Formats: sequence, structure tokens, C-alpha cells
Amino acid sequence: MACRFEVLLSGEDQRHTAAAHEALAEADRLDAAWSIFQDDSAVAMLNRRAAEAPARVDAELFALLARAQELWRRTDGAFDVTTTPLSRCWGFVAREARVPDAAAIDAARAIVGLHRVTLDAAAGTVRFDAAGVEINLGAIGKGAAVDAIATRLARRGVRHALVSAAGSSVHAIGGRDGGFAIDVTSPLVDRPLARLRLRRGALGTSGIGVQALVRDGRRFGHVIDPRTGWPAGQDGLPQVVSATVVATDAATADALSTAMLIGGAALADRYCSTHPDTLVLLTTDDLRTVRFGASDAALVEDLCT
Amino acid sequence: MHLTPEEQATGRRNFLRAVAGVPVLAGLGAASLARGPIAGGPVRVGYIGVGGEGRVLLGATDKAYAHVVAMADINPAQLAQADAVLEKGGHAKATHYAEWREMIQKEALEGVVIAAPLWMHTEITVGCLEAGLHVLCEKMMAWDVEGCERMRATARRTGKLLEIGYQRNYNTVYQAAHEGIVKAGVLGDVFMARLAWHRNGNWRRAGDPPAANYDPSKWGYPSWEHLLNWRLYKKYSRGLLAELASHQVNISNWFFGAEPEAVIGTGGIYRFKDGREVDDHVYATFEYPGGRSAVFSTIESNAFERNYEVFYGTKATLLMQGESEAYLFEEGAATPAAARPTGIDVQPKAAGPALSASESRVADAAGRPATGGAAGTNADRLAAYRAEVSGFCSAVRTGSPLLCGPDRAIGSAVACITAVEAVAGKTRLPIRLGAATQS
Repeated sequence: MACRFEVLLSGEDQRHTAAAHEALAEADRLDAAWSIFQDDSAVAMLNRRAAEAPARVDAELFALLARAQELWRRTDGAFDVTTTPLSRCWGFVAREARVPDAAAIDAARAIVGLHRVTLDAAAGTVRFDAAGVEINLGAIGKGAAVDAIATRLARRGVRHALVSAAGSSVHAIGGRDGGFAIDVTSPLVDRPLARLRLRRGALGTSGIGVQALVRDGRRFGHVIDPRTGWPAGQDGLPQVVSATVVATDAATADALSTAMLIGGAALADRYCSTHPDTLVLLTTDDLRTVRFGASDAALVEDLCT
Repeated sequence: MHLTPEEQATGRRNFLRAVAGVPVLAGLGAASLARGPIAGGPVRVGYIGVGGEGRVLLGATDKAYAHVVAMADINPAQLAQADAVLEKGGHAKATHYAEWREMIQKEALEGVVIAAPLWMHTEITVGCLEAGLHVLCEKMMAWDVEGCERMRATARRTGKLLEIGYQRNYNTVYQAAHEGIVKAGVLGDVFMARLAWHRNGNWRRAGDPPAANYDPSKWGYPSWEHLLNWRLYKKYSRGLLAELASHQVNISNWFFGAEPEAVIGTGGIYRFKDGREVDDHVYATFEYPGGRSAVFSTIESNAFERNYEVFYGTKATLLMQGESEAYLFEEGAATPAAARPTGIDVQPKAAGPALSASESRVADAAGRPATGGAAGTNADRLAAYRAEVSGFCSAVRTGSPLLCGPDRAIGSAVACITAVEAVAGKTRLPIRLGAATQS
């Protein structure tokens, strides 16, 4: 979550700047709790202890892990908060990307997968079934923090505001005049992929653009499919370079955008048919953007295909 | 205060984000003034004192607002220089006077702009107000508290306008900082402000008298040196506290929404023992209600820090530097550059997209499109002078409110006058504003 959090108010809501500053304190609080870069964070402690014995975590973290597990199930394992060993194996953690040998990938896969994590709701504990299992909330924590900030703003009486983190997780409280105008962009393309209005809902977007390894003409994105151990998009189908999801909350949108990058059109189609009020926009490497599902929170004004 | 280029970029961006959409940025400078001079035409003004400061004001005088009818100065050489300034601004020639009293008797003026040495402020202002003229008088208000009170009482009795010229009040960067950051509570609780004005020069001017036989003694200056360097002599001047600190105390009073109750001072003539009577190093801590302090320093031996005002809040730090640059740093990190990357943005209506969403960016980058920024923070300092003179004229014509009338100006003046005494005695003195405000 080492990213920038922002609150956008429209001119007539200027009086809420102080409330916005107070709400932004949530980013610090949750970063301290969920960061894997701080040794004393709740998640770092969980990673150190949960393989030995069930580890108790606070209710907020437990709820987020339960949410992550539910999304893992709904996406057939495409979204998974335990993929760090695979990312490390591919060199994406140290930012020295390389194509690892098969044995290294297998070794990493042996400690990856949310099926290795047992959540005990009654006891409020988390247990890993193997040493080396690691939780990293990077693909959902940002969205959850954005939701927490939005909740606090709403409690302070703010009716219209756009909360965002790193420009990739967004939560709209209200939204005047049809909603907040949002351009979906990708560093790979110099024009917006889509233009939409977001009102009372959330948006998450993920892509392979910034962090990627190119070897022998093949592009390996930093998002690893936990089920294969390989970066997403190695199945011969057009590679998804950008995935945007509109959902009711930013944690879900954040997690699903990562899942869609891995699961592609097949997952998007299936997910949207069983989960109404979810909108997915996928841009493939031929720079075509395709839309799946629909959401009351988003009005797609322009799809640049 | 020195910032790395990265800190400057971050601080400037934070400031612009926090004040974006503050209507004052677009408003006060132009819109409200535009109403003023249209009906009734330019205000007929006379300038009293056209030395360096007077000529800056003259150069910032917009002929749509002011018709400069006449100028008075006891130094004819300065009147000649002022002619050139008027010509450059496209103004018609103005009649010259040595005596301001003669000017206001002979000319059909509506108002005067006074930029005479400090010790003359009360006499000239009171004289002009009594003559039925509106007055824009340069800061500091007066040499002593009694003089400030007389000026205020006369303005009240005559019903004429009296504005004290602190150009920072008219500076849109300060207005935006007050409106969008200070008033909005962005800084949290502020217990300390730092006011610094550091220079490395002797403050002494060199120049020849306008004529070999020029005698300024009839105006109270025993020698040409006393007139030329009036700032260095106690009879006419209050030194660095009046000429520099009063600008900054005016800002701390504004941003704290209060006036100081006491001042602790020290200082002396440490470097330039050249016959001057005012200190070249001055340190003063102004104590405000609620445990708040503004710590002022001015030195004439090092210009590394230049001049700035900083407000250190529990949530953020606001730095106003050189009257034109503004930076905002949020709390939460050891250095400004590492400060927590969060931000608040207020978007004007009908701006472009609220956000450009894309895959996660690095820590500092936000999703805000690059377009649609607010006014630059590197504001033209002269624009504040222009707004000051035009604002005064506008008030004369339309009754639009002034920004620094006597009630406000007396606060920083009494604080700085008391500070002069505290520095002289190297002691702590209460600031008796109560007596002043009740008169």
C-alpha cells in the first residue's frame, strides 16, 4: 500500500476539506496494520506465526481475509493473496525479473494457494498448512483502505467525494451531475481506453503495463496466475493488458481487476453472468476494449476500441 | 528555507491541490474590482512621498482606477524619477509639490496614497482625513501607539476610508492559503509559526542630495544623511521590526485569527557600528492566545534563508516563501520529501475528468490528470501592489470592503512597536492592545 491516497471534492463541497484530511488518516492506520514492509504489522506477524499454530488476528483483518477467500472461490482461484512466493521466484519482488526454472516454480507453487489457509471465524484465528505460506494484501488492501476512508467521510456527512489510491482503486461517494468522470487509461496506450461516470460505487483497474519482463519477444507481466505459476496471458489467447472492474466496493473491484487480468474474457463473462451489478472492461494486447456485464454505479460514455 | 527540487515539486503540488477551486484565486483580484471604477471614472488621487516604495505603488497604479493628479515630495529628484514611472504607465503628467499640505489645498483630490517615512504617517494621514480625503497609507501604520490610535479615531470621526498597505493581504497566494488551507483546518492545530527575513547588506543607501545647497532641516531632518537613511534613525524609524517584521506579523495575526499578547525580544547593532541607531539583528517571539507563538528573526549578515513565513501544524506545514511561493507538506514523516503521500483535491466545476484511472502508479503519482491546475503559486508580486491600489480606488467608488483598515492594521503595528521596546530591553513585555482597541 505504499501509494498515494487522495480525496477529490467538487468546488461546492470545499467545506469538507478538514473531514477529508481526518479520513485520510485511515490510510496510515491500515497501512501500518496490513503492510508486509513493516515487521511489526499485523500481517507480518501473522506471516511469521500462522504456520506454527493458529494465530489470532483483529476482526478487521479477519473480515478482509474472509472477503479475500470468498473472492478467491468466486474467481476459481484467479484472485489469491498468497502468490508472493511465485512473484519472488519470478523476481518481481526484488524488481529483477527473470524466467525461473520449472523446479523453482514448483517449489513456489507448493506454498501458494488460499486452500492452504484456514480461517476459523469462531476463534478469530488464521492457520497456514505449510511453512513459507505468505499473505500479501497488495491486490485488495488498497481498495479496502479506500472503502474505509469513504465510510469515514460518509459518517462525517460528506455526500459527494471521490476517494482513490494510486489512481487504480476508486470509491465514489455520491457524485453530482451523473457522477464523477473517470478516464480509464493504460501506460501502454496514449489515449483513454474508456470514459465513464461513476456514482455510488467503486472501480478498480489493473494492468501489466508498468511492471513486466520481456524475454525472446514474449512479455511476462508481473501478475502471476497462482494456478499455473506463470504470468497471466500465456495461454495463446490475446493477452489482457488492462482490466477494469466496477463493483459496489473498492476492495472487491480491486481484487476482481487482478483476477480478470488472469482469468481474461472467460472469467469476466462467467463472473458477470452470475454476479449482477458488476461491470468489467478488458483491453487486450491488440488494444481492443470489450465490455462485460453492467453496473448501476457506472455509465460508460465512451469505449475506445 | 531551502528545499530540494523534489520537495519543491511535492510541496507546490500539495498546495495547489489543497487550494484548487478556492474562488478567491480567481475572484478578489479581478472580478470584484471590475465593478469599481466603471461608474464615476478613475479616482482623483495625489501621491505623498515618491521614494522607492512610493514609486513601486505608482508603477502599480492602473489608470482605469486612478487618475494621478499630483505628487508631493520634499526631494525634487524623486519627483523627477516619479515622472518617468508615470509616463511608463501611460499616465498624464502630474503636478509637483514639495509640501503635501499645499497639494491637498490646491488640488481637487478624492484620495491620497502616502509612502512617506514612518514618523510622518500620523501627521499626514490625520491631515488628509481631516481635509475630507480617503487615505491609503503604506505600512507600518504609525511610529507609536498613540499615532495609530489618532489615525483610527480620525478615520472614524470623518467617515473617510483608511487602508494600511500590506501588499500580502492583496496577494492571491496568501488569500488562497488562508481560505483553502488555514480556514479549512488542513494544518490541524498550529502552535508555532516562524517568520524570517534574512539579508546580507547594510541597509544603508548612498546618494547625492538633489542640489549642493539642498537643506532638509525645515522638514525635520538635520542633514541629507538623515533624510536619505531615515530608516536607520530612531526619530523617524522603528527599524527592521517596522519595515520587515510588521509585514509578517500581519500574516501571523491573519492566519492565527488573533493578536499577540506579549513579546520577548533581543537583538542589537552587532555588525554595522556605523552610527546607525536601529538594530541590525533582531529576534522576537510573539505570544498568541492558546499557547501559540510566532518566532521572528531578521539578520543583516546572511541571506541564505531569504524571507518566509512557516506555519507548523499538527497535520501539515504551510510555507510561504518570498511572497510568491507556497508549499504544503503533510505531517507523518521525518522529511518533507518523505511525507505521507496523501492529498485532497477540490475540483472546479466543469473541469476535465475527475480522475485518470490506470494500473497502480508509484507512491507519489496521483490519478489526477495533468490539466486543470489552479493559478500558479509563483504569483507576480507586483500584482499584489496593483490590487492594493486598485482595491483602494474601488472602495472609494463603490464602498467595496478594504482588506486592512485601521482595526486590523493596529494589531501588527502595536505588536511591532512593543517588540522594539522588548528588544531594546532584552525582555518580555505584554502587548497592550486592549487599550488601543477600546479608544
